[in-house]
Amino acid sequence: MRRLGALLWLALVLLAGGYLALRLHDGLGFRTDLLALLPREEQDPVLQRANDAVTKALGRRVLVLVGHADRETARKAAAKLGDALLATGQVERIGEGIDVDRLKRLGALYFPHRQSLLSDGDRALLAAGKGEEVATRAQAQAFGFAGLVDAGLLRTDPFLLLPSFLTNLPFPLSRLTPDEGMLSVTENGATWVLVSAVLAGEPFELDLQDRLVDAFDAAVGEMPGVTVKRLGAVFFAHAGSKTAIAEASTLGTLSLVGTIVLTALAFRRPGPLLHNLLALGVGMTVGLSGSLLLFGELHVAALLFGSSLIGVAVDYSLHYSASLFDPLSGSPRDRLRHVLPGIALGLVTTLIGYAALMLAPFPGLRQIAAFSIIGLVGAFLTVVLWLPSLDRAGKLTHGAWMLRAAAGLWGFWEERRWRGVRVVLLLGCALAGTVGLARLSADDDVRRLQAVSAELRQEQDEIQRLIGATTAAQFLLVQAADDEAALRLQEDLAATLAGLKAKGSIAGYQMPAAFVPSARTQRENRALVAGALDGPLLAAQRASLGLPPAGPDDKAPNDKAADGVLTLKDALAADSVPFLRELVLGPGLHVVALQGLNDPDAVRAAVAGTAGVRLVNPTADFSALLAKYRHRALLLTGLAGLLMLPVLMWRYGWQGGLWTLLPPGAALILAPAAVGLMGQDFTFFHAMALVLILSIGVDYAVFCAESGVEQQPVTMLAVWLATLTTLLSFGLLAFSAVPAVHSFGMTMLIGISIAFLFAPLAARGARHNEATTGARLL
Amino acid sequence: MTRIVVFLLALLAAFPAPAAETPAAGTLATQTQATERLATETLNEGQVLRGAFVQERFLKGFQAPLKSGGHFTLAPGRGLIWRTETPFAVTTVMSPAGLVQEVKGNETMRLPAARLPFMSKLYTMLGGALTGDWKALEDMFAVERGGDRDAWTLHLTPRRTNDPTMPIRAIDVRGGRFVEEVEIVKPDGDRDRLTFRDQRLNAEAPTADEAALLASAARP
Repeated sequence: MRRLGALLWLALVLLAGGYLALRLHDGLGFRTDLLALLPREEQDPVLQRANDAVTKALGRRVLVLVGHADRETARKAAAKLGDALLATGQVERIGEGIDVDRLKRLGALYFPHRQSLLSDGDRALLAAGKGEEVATRAQAQAFGFAGLVDAGLLRTDPFLLLPSFLTNLPFPLSRLTPDEGMLSVTENGATWVLVSAVLAGEPFELDLQDRLVDAFDAAVGEMPGVTVKRLGAVFFAHAGSKTAIAEASTLGTLSLVGTIVLTALAFRRPGPLLHNLLALGVGMTVGLSGSLLLFGELHVAALLFGSSLIGVAVDYSLHYSASLFDPLSGSPRDRLRHVLPGIALGLVTTLIGYAALMLAPFPGLRQIAAFSIIGLVGAFLTVVLWLPSLDRAGKLTHGAWMLRAAAGLWGFWEERRWRGVRVVLLLGCALAGTVGLARLSADDDVRRLQAVSAELRQEQDEIQRLIGATTAAQFLLVQAADDEAALRLQEDLAATLAGLKAKGSIAGYQMPAAFVPSARTQRENRALVAGALDGPLLAAQRASLGLPPAGPDDKAPNDKAADGVLTLKDALAADSVPFLRELVLGPGLHVVALQGLNDPDAVRAAVAGTAGVRLVNPTADFSALLAKYRHRALLLTGLAGLLMLPVLMWRYGWQGGLWTLLPPGAALILAPAAVGLMGQDFTFFHAMALVLILSIGVDYAVFCAESGVEQQPVTMLAVWLATLTTLLSFGLLAFSAVPAVHSFGMTMLIGISIAFLFAPLAARGARHNEATTGARLL
Repeated sequence: MTRIVVFLLALLAAFPAPAAETPAAGTLATQTQATERLATETLNEGQVLRGAFVQERFLKGFQAPLKSGGHFTLAPGRGLIWRTETPFAVTTVMSPAGLVQEVKGNETMRLPAARLPFMSKLYTMLGGALTGDWKALEDMFAVERGGDRDAWTLHLTPRRTNDPTMPIRAIDVRGGRFVEEVEIVKPDGDRDRLTFRDQRLNAEAPTADEAALLASAARP
């Protein structure tokens, strides 16, 4: 019967392994987009597309300023750096594409429509009937000093409307100027030359990061005396992954070596360690393939947290292995029978805890829950069905001192002489808990969760100051039936945006309508030019410029476009307007890029009344998402505790149930309180640690509650070992430099320690109960 | 079509980096070969050059040149004030910070140098040409000299002949003690001719009016 169960389980595990292998072979990709974590009813495919497009364009951009007092040196260094980046093959294109050819196309695009394109200033002047001012300005430019105006332009555009339109185009990078094919800016005698690139892949690909940044550093190393400033997601990501990899290898090695040494020292044989790994490995395999089957795909966050949650499984196999120290235990089957009630109850309570995560309509939490539930059941079945058969080892006899030491904690809670200390400790905890919780505040700002290199951030700020606004991650998404409607929406918003800019709520903005006005506006412009300039002033203007009266020749050959309007489609097809492509996502779906968004609430309020326009602020949206998940995780942890109670009460009576929940409950209260006392803000990552603390804490409590008096030292040893391995794998994360990981690890470190420290208290209720009912499972 | 392009290029693409500050002309002038042979007066810090000018712009397809005249004031390191008086009053002030144009006291154009390094290059070149400092020009132009110390000529051609961003085909300069005539030929055949007369060099400080104009142009 048992053999059959073990074989069936083996078949199932092999099946799961095969399925996983198949999926991996097909190229298993994990979802990484954060919006996939939003509740489904809050997901908006249009918004997601817009966000993806903007984030992608932004993420792939690399801006570097190469500076030197000598212009030639700076230019040569910039060219060399550009070549070096291109040579890596990780770069799609170098340069902003503002070259002579592009400018020729820009001129060719706008010139036929010069009567329809007005700068905001000219439009206001003409609308106010001040056509003379426009005419006078053109004359001043024609007669004035160092006239840039050539004859042809003056003949075909005697009011010089097009130059005025062109010089007022809101290009980003506004402080940069083309200088013999390179964009540059000078400040305090130094020339800064821009090297810009677009990555061929995603900035988070490790291989791309390494190759690009290595080539970059090598090239910069060969340019003594040249100052280089960097801006780009790839640099931040590289710095971040360098920290993460270094940390992962240190912390990972420490954790692994620590666990191996610990189990080896404790058991003095490899069996228990291998059992541990087997249970975990099977849990992961089954959990992963099971949830892939269930969801079709997995989010990388679910994988990360899910595999942490499966870590609880270590408790079961350790509890089983520690029974080797029990002098009264017999065969492996006997030992299993002995620990089975404890680990079965531990499993049930943990499953309740994880299942509670399923109650929220958050895809992320659901995937985490499903993954860890399946994995945990897998690990449990492995312990129950396989370990006794694999385990041929005899009893361990070297553990006397360890058992004595482990039992010490139990003694602390039971013996009379510690009474005073116990009271002081409990009072201290109560005080710390009250003060800490009162001081605790939440902060979900995602920017504070990342380990961002201060040096890179400073370089980024300097670059933005030197070259003017760069493309930004925040934007208004304009959604309308077609391009014309979208352009009109933007023009209607222009005054609002100008007001926001004047107030300092935003530093600047770029809208497609500034580059290609709507047909409505173009027709209005033409009417304005005809009424306020051509009608009353053209003859006088031509005369004062010494031009013959307007004849048919003065229309340039391609002026047949005069009746038509410049359409966005034509402008995009010509690909002559820099940056325009990034602002138009599709017909009627436009982006108004916002730079220096200082007051998102003001902007949100200002556009609230305009249908089809909304503010997209990915950082804030992600922070809000984290806040939602934090709320949900906290609520569900509380709910899980409540749901565990009936099970514990069924087993230990109502009083015993409460005693059993006391240690994890104390950990759940004191861990956040400690976070508050340390002056840290509470985040989603702290909350996720609480889910784990509850599950693990209940396990410890149940193990203690299940333990008969004679098994107390063995049980305590198992709980000791479980605590130490948990601290080695999660508590060490407290030393991470990544704030999110540090938060998680720190909470685990404190919470698990408290759950462990208080665990023997769970036995009080159980014994109480035992005395009255004498109930014992199995 | 090429015309608008040339215009755009002059506007957006231009010259090498702007000089942040014109060095005291005199010191540089003694270093350049050109001045060794020329008797042109050079300016020292604190000196101000004043004079009258006539500007004629010969534009293709126009019946007559666009002719304007007026007075200029050049204060090294501070700026150039170009007051056009005929056919109507336009004041242009160029400083290392940029260019400002005023018509009847109303500002009609303001171009910061950071936006248009061409402007401050032009300022450097023109300031240099008027004061005998040819260094700025020699960077970009091949210089052929002619005449003698008291009646010299210069013919400047761009060093890079097929640079499409170069808005000048040639410059001819004629002078004696001061620069007397400058003619700039554009690639499409348009010409600008500047004639100078009544030039005086002295240490008279800029008037309050001039100082205000220079300060206005120095504003970012």
